[in-house]
Amino acid sequence: MIEIADLRVVMADRTILDLPRLAIQAGRRYGLIGENGSGKTTLLRVLAGTLLPDAGSIRGLDPRTMGYLPQSPYVFSFSVLRNVVLALQDSPTAEKDALAALEKVGMASFIRHRADRLSGGEAQRVALARLLAKAHQVLLLDEPSSATDIRGMDAIEQVLLDYWESNACTLVFSTHSPAQALRLAQEVIYLEDGQIVEMGSADELLRSPKHPKTRAFLNHWLIDQQNNHSA
Amino acid sequence: MIDRILDLFFGPNPEFRQIVAVTLRMSLFSTLVSTLLGVPLGVLIGANEFRAKPLVSRLVDTLMGIPPVVGGLVVFLLLSRSGPLGSLKLLYTVTAMVIAQVLLITPIITGMASNIVSIRAPSIRETCHGLGIPPGRRLWYTILECRVPFISIVLAGFGRAIAEVGAVQMVGGNIQFKTRTMTTAIMMQSNMGYFDLAVALGFVLLIISFTINSLVHLIQDRERRD
Repeated sequence: MIEIADLRVVMADRTILDLPRLAIQAGRRYGLIGENGSGKTTLLRVLAGTLLPDAGSIRGLDPRTMGYLPQSPYVFSFSVLRNVVLALQDSPTAEKDALAALEKVGMASFIRHRADRLSGGEAQRVALARLLAKAHQVLLLDEPSSATDIRGMDAIEQVLLDYWESNACTLVFSTHSPAQALRLAQEVIYLEDGQIVEMGSADELLRSPKHPKTRAFLNHWLIDQQNNHSA
Repeated sequence: MIDRILDLFFGPNPEFRQIVAVTLRMSLFSTLVSTLLGVPLGVLIGANEFRAKPLVSRLVDTLMGIPPVVGGLVVFLLLSRSGPLGSLKLLYTVTAMVIAQVLLITPIITGMASNIVSIRAPSIRETCHGLGIPPGRRLWYTILECRVPFISIVLAGFGRAIAEVGAVQMVGGNIQFKTRTMTTAIMMQSNMGYFDLAVALGFVLLIISFTINSLVHLIQDRERRD
């Protein structure tokens, strides 16, 4: 279990994350939802260790067994295959594992392509394959399918669910889409202004939110979806 | 003009060939030393976050704009007979010219390399951290990712070295068959009213500059195509 206590991140005199307590159960799938600037990325970055908090503690998270996919992962100007292999350098089966990971995300036919010339969605899938080529106990993903289309999103979600099942890992991801959270997460955390407004099982929180702020966010999201659909 | 240049290159008088040789030797060597100093320094500054970084960056930016005569004066004072390094007897040698150029070019290479690295480093750092790639290898990947701009930066440094006149004149002394370079020779010939040789030398400098720029474009085009 990952235990967060009195966590605070301040930037330019503004508190952007303030979490008095948060417990993340091992082996569960957590979805972080909220508007832009709600603290989803900050929380993931603090958990990943790429951002140091101004106060507080995180216990039960071993950086050696953690994998983290940033919102805009860097793809190197090497081939797609080499991009994945570089994350597995110490493994004698690096190339085989890299190919298997690329196969899963549907990028096996791109292995000789230069990764930095791919489209945003393709690059995101390569970055995901690079992360999933290795077994992690905790997986932190910042909007793992933000650059992909609906079909790509379905494929990524399925890959993540398969990975979670076969590795029995803890999955924490952020998304702008409550629908994706419902499909992928068992637990959902709604963040606003760097604070947890509501947290609970995905089904309960997204279908019958208790907090008015969560209801308002979900209503806004639904209206946006309807507007996009009718447009 | 072409006849004049060909005559200078292949004619009986060795002075012109000697001037070009000194210029190339000095520029190549000072660029090499500046690259060996400037690129690693730029990578270290650009790829890392530390408290003194803004101050260091400001210092490098300031040194990037140091007037050549000021750089030349510093080296002159260091190497002059009464200076702290006077005993080395390096003043009015090609070595002194290289030292002066290194002083001028290293901050340029450092600053440009640091800027390039600092654009890519945060994203590479975060991605590598998430993949569990150790810091040493992370730095190597950062250098690899910046390889093309680095080549352009080094060639820009060479361009600066070959065109420099103020510092080279001060510490080299423009001595015939010893420290005379194309730029100092152009200045001297113009002052003496011998514009023929000055124009021919200028023409050769332009050709070298054109070759360097073509090389930079060639590398960039190849990178875009691959």
